Amino acid sequence: MPFNDFSKGLIKINPIFVLALGLCPALAVSISIENAFGMGIAVIFVLTLSNLIISLLRNVIPKDVRIPSFIVIIATFVTIVNLTFKAYLPSLSESLGIYIPLIVVNCIILGRAEAFASKNPPLRSVLDGLGEGTGFLLAILLISFFRELLGTGGINFAILGYEFGSFIIPLFSDMPALFFIMPPGAFLIIGLLLGLFKRMDVI
Amino acid sequence: MNELLSLFLRYALVNNFILVMFLGLCPFFGVSKKLSDAIRMGLAVTFVMIASSIITWLIANFILIPFNIEFMETVVFILVIASFVQLLEMVIRKTSIGLYRALGIYLPLITTNCAVLGIAEINFLEGFSFLGSIASSSGAGVGFILALTIMSGLRERLELSEVPGSLKGLPIAFITASILSLSFLTFGGLRI
Amino acid sequence: MKENIKRVVVLTIIVLASSLSIYVYNNTVEDALKEQEMAELTEHINMIFPDAERFIQKDDIYYVYSDDEIIGYAFEAIGKGYGGDITILVGINNDEDLTIKKVSVLSHSETPGLGARITEDEFVSQFDNKPIDAIKLEGIDAITGATISSKAVVNAVYSEYKNKIQSIRSE
Repeated sequence: MPFNDFSKGLIKINPIFVLALGLCPALAVSISIENAFGMGIAVIFVLTLSNLIISLLRNVIPKDVRIPSFIVIIATFVTIVNLTFKAYLPSLSESLGIYIPLIVVNCIILGRAEAFASKNPPLRSVLDGLGEGTGFLLAILLISFFRELLGTGGINFAILGYEFGSFIIPLFSDMPALFFIMPPGAFLIIGLLLGLFKRMDVI
Repeated sequence: MNELLSLFLRYALVNNFILVMFLGLCPFFGVSKKLSDAIRMGLAVTFVMIASSIITWLIANFILIPFNIEFMETVVFILVIASFVQLLEMVIRKTSIGLYRALGIYLPLITTNCAVLGIAEINFLEGFSFLGSIASSSGAGVGFILALTIMSGLRERLELSEVPGSLKGLPIAFITASILSLSFLTFGGLRI
Repeated sequence: MKENIKRVVVLTIIVLASSLSIYVYNNTVEDALKEQEMAELTEHINMIFPDAERFIQKDDIYYVYSDDEIIGYAFEAIGKGYGGDITILVGINNDEDLTIKKVSVLSHSETPGLGARITEDEFVSQFDNKPIDAIKLEGIDAITGATISSKAVVNAVYSEYKNKIQSIRSE
């Protein structure tokens, strides 16, 4: 049964495509696979650890101060991620910019704290955090795959500063459809993907 | 003066919070079906944005920077914004029931609206002056209202138009936003 | 009343614990943060001056050495782009006219695909080995669709050059 806590986040209640939560970062930083991995990993880290702490403290925190308490706990982990990126991955930190501190107000994290971690034991909350976080990562990777491919004419596979190879589409990469890495491209790709998923009855 | 005007325009049009920077999308897709709701929500967000820009500017420049604790910035800002919104809700509820009915219901949502923390972070990271922060946040607020209003008008029309089955609802809203965002990109040629 | 006290106590403890952990963590990464800033600067200076062996900072100017001889100077220029400040590192040749050696964009937040292309070689290489009087908008081709960002870079380089040139000449 606990596995279900993890797997439900991947597709069944995928934060982006099903719950439509956490859209800001999903649209803003999905310019490249590298950015998507950076943001996705940051969200998994914050979501899992804040779920753990909130679940451990769920019987201690009085009900009417729970939201501010959750926000402080989340903000602490976000600051830790922000400092880590700044210190060890400066170029990633630069390109993610204010969207790293804005993870604090990412509705997925407060949403999971409120809907799941504040009511369930630690192990299940961690699995829920990992699952929802991974679901977010997969969704943002999918969006950025299309944006980078169409917008730059190739893909550069890189995770947290490590490069795993790249490819370009000959000819197309000389004159790529820049539209897709500009803001309107993000709206279009996510709209079309949502439509496609609806058509395929996935969501 | 010129500087302030250009900051205002930068965040109202060129870097429109919703359509170019993707901040505050939840109300954009959530509330924006009715024009009157959109305007009220926009006004509430704008007010909170300007007020919290002022407060966070004061805190940043009189506490965080003098004491060298800039790294606490995110925690402090979000706490301040959350408390301010809570306070505002209490004050409005006590003073004007009409205003509370009109704006109050949106207030709890505003704490977790990326646009509010977003403008505070931008003001801090860009090192805007006090007046600069006011200009940027009112610009961002006006841009927010503008995008919300246009979108709600478009969505009212969309309800009546024939949309392919699988694109109904959210997908077509995103595609509409894409076209709207494209038209806002043309402000990129503005000389500011 | 008792409930109220509990609320305040719990919230205070959480805030204190949070501040403490961030403070401790910030101290542990502080060295890495400083090193990172230095490393970034060194990388850009090495890119502008491939022969550079070391550099020293005096006021806001970096003096770049090779074999104990000054081969050039570098300084930062800040321009106003669309998304905010654009920081550019400007390298100057140690020659008669103090021509520009190369410029390199340190940080910016321009629109991807448009203004962000100021970092691309096609744009920045136009500055290579030009005398300052050629650094005007007529001398540099702006990026299509990103005139403002291009202009911001050109103006920043030009005016910061004029500011710094006195102190460089007097060396």
